[in-house]
Amino acid sequence: MHVPAILPAAADSNSTDILAIANSPVLWACAVGVFLVIVVQSVIYMKAARIAAPHVGMSQAELKTSFRAGAISALGPSLAVVMVAVALLTVFGTPAVLVRIGLIGSVSYETAAAAIAANTAGAELGGPTYTQAVFGLALAAMSLGGAMWMIATLILTPLLKKGDSALRKVNPAIMLVVPGAAMVAAFMVLGIGELPKSWIHVVAFVSSAAIMTGLMVIAKKVNRPWIKEWALGIAIILSLAITYAATRL
Amino acid sequence: MPQATEIHQALGAFDKTTSRWGRITMIIGLFFSLAAPAYLVFFAGLDIQVSGIIAAFGALAAVFGVIWIVEPLTYFPILGASSMYQAFMIGNISNKLLPAAMIAQATIGVKPGTRKGELASVAAICGAATVHLASLFIFVGLLGTWLVSVIPTDIVQTIQFYILPTVMGAVVVQAIVSQKAPRSALIALVVSIIVVSVAFFFKPFGLFSTAVAVIATAVLAWVLRDRKTLGTPEDVPVHATPEGPVY
Repeated sequence: MHVPAILPAAADSNSTDILAIANSPVLWACAVGVFLVIVVQSVIYMKAARIAAPHVGMSQAELKTSFRAGAISALGPSLAVVMVAVALLTVFGTPAVLVRIGLIGSVSYETAAAAIAANTAGAELGGPTYTQAVFGLALAAMSLGGAMWMIATLILTPLLKKGDSALRKVNPAIMLVVPGAAMVAAFMVLGIGELPKSWIHVVAFVSSAAIMTGLMVIAKKVNRPWIKEWALGIAIILSLAITYAATRL
Repeated sequence: MPQATEIHQALGAFDKTTSRWGRITMIIGLFFSLAAPAYLVFFAGLDIQVSGIIAAFGALAAVFGVIWIVEPLTYFPILGASSMYQAFMIGNISNKLLPAAMIAQATIGVKPGTRKGELASVAAICGAATVHLASLFIFVGLLGTWLVSVIPTDIVQTIQFYILPTVMGAVVVQAIVSQKAPRSALIALVVSIIVVSVAFFFKPFGLFSTAVAVIATAVLAWVLRDRKTLGTPEDVPVHATPEGPVY
């Protein structure tokens, strides 16, 4: 379907200029929409909490303190997410990064989802086959996948609130083993699948894994949890720098 | 102290407001998050087939389907009903929202699981959301977009080309560390090497390699689990739950 009136001349299925389409005003509008929805939700929730607080013996000052404590403690983790998000701006464009990596999803899940989606079209994330059409497909798959979390939340929350016994009977040992194993396997196979492509891919994967391991060890040795928070961003940026140096050899 | 019935009514009103507006705002958020790809697919003039999207979604479901359902189940007892609608839209639950809620509860000296604790965590998540939206807007939306416009094309190209192995290298290590399940990690490694080798020599298999690796690892991790510590459901102590999903 073609709607040339709202369509910038840039749209071209086979072009690898992702950012021409990824930064389109419509995508920006959608991202701003998600931002505003969260603002509205927070305002409604704070108002409701303020009304309910006195009835449980909680003062407005305590509520304010809670808000401030939450805000301050989020500062570090938020900036750590910012670091990762900036590294991915050239891959997905600003609006998609804001919504998918900054908010609803996370860098690990979204990057994996985009790679899996691109593969189904016989393309690869990032390479010469990463065209505007493949980006569109990847964003559609990422968004639908993210929607499944929200839909599961919308359906399951009322059920769990009612104390649905069938849901509570789910074998906890399965819950403990299977999702974690599935997650590690997804990242592992996507990562190892990159290795045969070129020696630079090997440099990228190995340096990133090595830096992450180093940071995890240091965080544990000196007992500084903030290092763990920043580890992902540091590992990605540093190993991208190492990879860039490797391409220049 | 206020009357018991009054407390009940006030909290009933809080639950009603948050669950109604929590759901409404989440559905609107869902709409905006799907509107962006819908525009690209249907109106941007790109050649994207709906059948292709269904195939991609199917591949994704094979890999992440279990987690879509398990994650809300895992977080419900920790977050409580009202915060569920906040958390799954704001994201970064385990690394940002849960610590924010815990610190707020500790600061004013209330226990999680109490009604006072619930209000404290709702307020803390609102505070965390405010900071998060502001820092994303300033550092990613404004500064990041400017940064991308000034970095040279060859660096942009390097990032695009090698983003997948770079992200996965760090993420694999992070996932292994936070899951604390070395046996599953080893199974995942062996399965991945086999699957990637098969895909290398038999190209068409590549399409299914991720799903096959994930499903095979999940099944093997379950069959080969340490039955001493994970024997029957009753044996699993509550505190043995992992730190939380890694994504």
